[in-house]
Amino acid sequence: MSESTANHTFAFYLGCIAPNRYPGCESAAIKTCKKLGIDLVPLKGASCCPAPGAFGSIDLNVWYAMAARNLVLAEQMKMDIALLCNGCYKSIWEVNHKLKHNKDLRDGVNEVLKEVDMEYKGTCNVYHIAELMYNEKFVGVSKIKDSVVTPMTGARIAVHYGCHLTKPHKDRDFEKTVMLDTEHPVWMEELVAALGATPVEYRNKMQCCGAGGGVRGYDIVHSLDITNEKLINIKEVQADALTDICPFCQLQFDRGQIEIKEKFGVEYNLPVLHFCELLGLAQGMSPQDLGLDLHGISCEPFLQKVL
Amino acid sequence: MMVEKKKATTKKTEAKKQETKKVAPVKQEVKKQAPAPAAKAVAAPGTTTTQKARIGVFICHCGTNIAGSMDIPEVQEYAKTIPNVAYVDNYKYMCSMPGQTVISKAVQEHKLTGVVVAACTPRLHEPTFRNATKDAGLNPFRFEMANIRDQNSWVHMHDHVGSTEKAKDAIRIAVAKAALLQDLFPKSVPVEKTAMVVGAGIGGMQAALDLAGAGIKTYLIESAPSIGGRMSQLDKTFPTLDCSQCILTPKMVDVGRSANIELMTYCEVDNVEGYIGNFDVTIRKKARGVLTPKEAEAKGIVGGGCNGCGDCDAVCPVIKPNVFEVGMKPRKAIYINHPQVVPLIYTIDFTSCVKCGLCVTACGPEKRAIDLESKDELIKVKVGTAILATGYDIFPIEKKEEWGYKRYENVITSLEFERLICASGPTGGHLIRPSDGETPKRVAFVLCAGSRDNTGVGKPYCSRFCCMYSLKHAHQITEKIPGCIPYIFYMDIRSFGKAYEEFYYRIQDEGAKFIRGRVANILEDPKTKNLHVYADDTLLDRPVDMEVDIVVLAAAIQPTADTERTRRLFGVSCTGDGWLQEAHPKLNPCGTTTAGVFLAGVCQGPKDIPDTVASAEGAASAASIPIHMGEVELEPYFATCIEEKCAGCGMCVNLCPYSALSLVEKDGRTVMQVTEAKCKGCGTCGGFCPGGAIWMNHFATPQIVAQIDAFLLGGEQ
Repeated sequence: MSESTANHTFAFYLGCIAPNRYPGCESAAIKTCKKLGIDLVPLKGASCCPAPGAFGSIDLNVWYAMAARNLVLAEQMKMDIALLCNGCYKSIWEVNHKLKHNKDLRDGVNEVLKEVDMEYKGTCNVYHIAELMYNEKFVGVSKIKDSVVTPMTGARIAVHYGCHLTKPHKDRDFEKTVMLDTEHPVWMEELVAALGATPVEYRNKMQCCGAGGGVRGYDIVHSLDITNEKLINIKEVQADALTDICPFCQLQFDRGQIEIKEKFGVEYNLPVLHFCELLGLAQGMSPQDLGLDLHGISCEPFLQKVL
Repeated sequence: MMVEKKKATTKKTEAKKQETKKVAPVKQEVKKQAPAPAAKAVAAPGTTTTQKARIGVFICHCGTNIAGSMDIPEVQEYAKTIPNVAYVDNYKYMCSMPGQTVISKAVQEHKLTGVVVAACTPRLHEPTFRNATKDAGLNPFRFEMANIRDQNSWVHMHDHVGSTEKAKDAIRIAVAKAALLQDLFPKSVPVEKTAMVVGAGIGGMQAALDLAGAGIKTYLIESAPSIGGRMSQLDKTFPTLDCSQCILTPKMVDVGRSANIELMTYCEVDNVEGYIGNFDVTIRKKARGVLTPKEAEAKGIVGGGCNGCGDCDAVCPVIKPNVFEVGMKPRKAIYINHPQVVPLIYTIDFTSCVKCGLCVTACGPEKRAIDLESKDELIKVKVGTAILATGYDIFPIEKKEEWGYKRYENVITSLEFERLICASGPTGGHLIRPSDGETPKRVAFVLCAGSRDNTGVGKPYCSRFCCMYSLKHAHQITEKIPGCIPYIFYMDIRSFGKAYEEFYYRIQDEGAKFIRGRVANILEDPKTKNLHVYADDTLLDRPVDMEVDIVVLAAAIQPTADTERTRRLFGVSCTGDGWLQEAHPKLNPCGTTTAGVFLAGVCQGPKDIPDTVASAEGAASAASIPIHMGEVELEPYFATCIEEKCAGCGMCVNLCPYSALSLVEKDGRTVMQVTEAKCKGCGTCGGFCPGGAIWMNHFATPQIVAQIDAFLLGGEQ
């Protein structure tokens, strides 16, 4: 089944943080996917997803309508959406799911979309790139293993799943995805192991990064406090780097370390890489290609260890 | 055995689909000899009646249940226009005595030939209205029901126009069938004067004891090697704090001694055939490897057989986790579960036995109780009624990953707690931390662990006894470990039973701490193996991070793994969560929709011990009624062969799922013959027969075609 070399093509939804703060995530996603038989075509004209915490907690209808507009763009391209951010996943996957299953909501949203000559039909599916990577139907662990040219032997890597991909459990359609578990998943560890690295378990792995749900915007100190606790737990197991699958989590861990240093006076210097960036390194791409030099925390010590 | 004698006249079809409490006339068949083909019983189909049908339609308001959602006068006016309708009336409660009188008076005054009641569901009131029809002097099977409540007014509560139209359709369809209905005569079959109880936990044991006490021979089937079930694993019972074993053992001994109970441990139901009064049950006696004294005697080993001395246990070299102790104690490949087992007979676990033969030598030449070559045996018994008491298992709480069961050593389940606090348990009654054997000083209890869980991982229902046993656990630790504080994380404390609320107050006074909030997650301190319990205290509105020595998860319960297989054998349905479905949740909680099969205890839904025992006594009473009556009536819904039309092709014989059909030679022709007792009236043969030679009583082709026509043609003929 996994032998199929058939190319998959997806409309690539960028979100906001990846292109603006971590362009490496964007380029890494496109380049690594290409090597794994997945074409990511830009979803032209896309807007903000919109951010689930910020918009969702103020006006759900705006959230539905804006996400639906992004979905319609993909429907017009006759493609499924792939994205690389958990927040985008929450907005676009969840709105798609709700609209598919709730006629009244769909009618309401379509009334709004009519003003811009659009109609949501419910013909496209939404995937997170990490999900595509793990799912044998698209890529699968063994194919990733085969694509590795620079194995990361000896590197100890902690995994951060982020919240919105698998939570809330009852709103996710787990039967149809490969992400079977919300509370103690291990599939990302499998992906990390496929790169030759050693995934390390740490305390309270499933804790929030501290950024999401508007916490970062509302109370930065509280938000960093959560991040700090996670960083303590990750340092405790002597991880060389932290990998995530969400640019917002990445921002919180990466730039957040600088803020923590300023506010709390603690220094961690823990390199933080999106899984696509990590995969790019393993596939032999240069750190510059992957924009790693644009990170707030230097990836140098980690690069020296693995390259 | 009575069945054998009267085979010809009494083998009747089984009434799986309907309730059986019909009170219909017992018409004695004239024929006495020879297994007669059933075709005799019906009038020549097609020539149903020469008399013109005169149907009465009676529309029930069901208070406002129906009348509140549709226009009754409009429906009534419409019904008058339906062909064959001679009389229409409506009444507030058609099922009431005055309502039934309306029906019988109308039948007589208007010389009706059939009755249609448009009301609720046949499941509820078909017997009522059949009786009313019969009281009016008609054959009770001349009654047809139109469901305008459950499938109409209740679902289209706010659509008056739509439900009015739908009611008209339903009545027109029912009238079409009623006009073609024929007289049918249910027949009685004798009931075997024996019963069966499946499962010998406290529920099954109580049911068996009651049946036995009523003079009924009862087979008590238990898949484990000994009886007592879950209750025998418990230390104390709430709210009285009696020792569970102390109150259970006398019952177990009674079961072992009762002359009317045939106790069959290490046995499973393998197959069930037949119907109420005459179930043929095949029991698989699993290879036990050890002979009882009785079995030994039958093999000519006088004075032999297992006496429970345990010499075999002492020499057996194989060590396995003891399932009874939830894996916290070792046992040998030849074992008994605990010292008080009934029956006191050892069992060999052949999946782990290495057949070294040491036990055979240890048992010695006198007893010769051990047979390493023993095989499963199949035993057939005949019973009149059966009770299922298959109990429950613990939900695999490790699925709730956030609490870390099986990842953190000091997170245990309540059942493990019961064994640890029990004097006969693996630690002699000392509660210890599994990680280091220390006595805990801070114990957290997580209630609703997997119960009342709408995440899709756990169970949506309340498991009903976890609150109370957790209160009891709190009492036990404050009693046994001075200075130890129980912290109870709860959603609501459901102390609903007699003297339960008082018990709750008592535990509060004893110093247990109650925190209202569901536990979000539990983390282990890798160095001390202490646990951090994170929750939201919803009364104080603040987050809680509590460090404790041990966490006890009051895990949800679920039906036993074997329940699904067993229920299918007995034809009992289940609810979405796997609990067995009672005939009516309020008014028939022990019965099932399969006549002669009853439910006792937790297999029907979570129950504590008092409720289980009460339910078992109810089931025993219900199961004894047909046996004491001596005979039961069966619905006359079986297939019959119209021999003139039958070409003897035999295709129906292969189709029949119940092996009820066969080909016989008759007057030089091959024709199909129905064994009425086996036929369940499913209609597979009738729907298929290429020659239209099979007549399904009460669901005949012309009747069904008339219903379809009535619907599609909208009343035009």
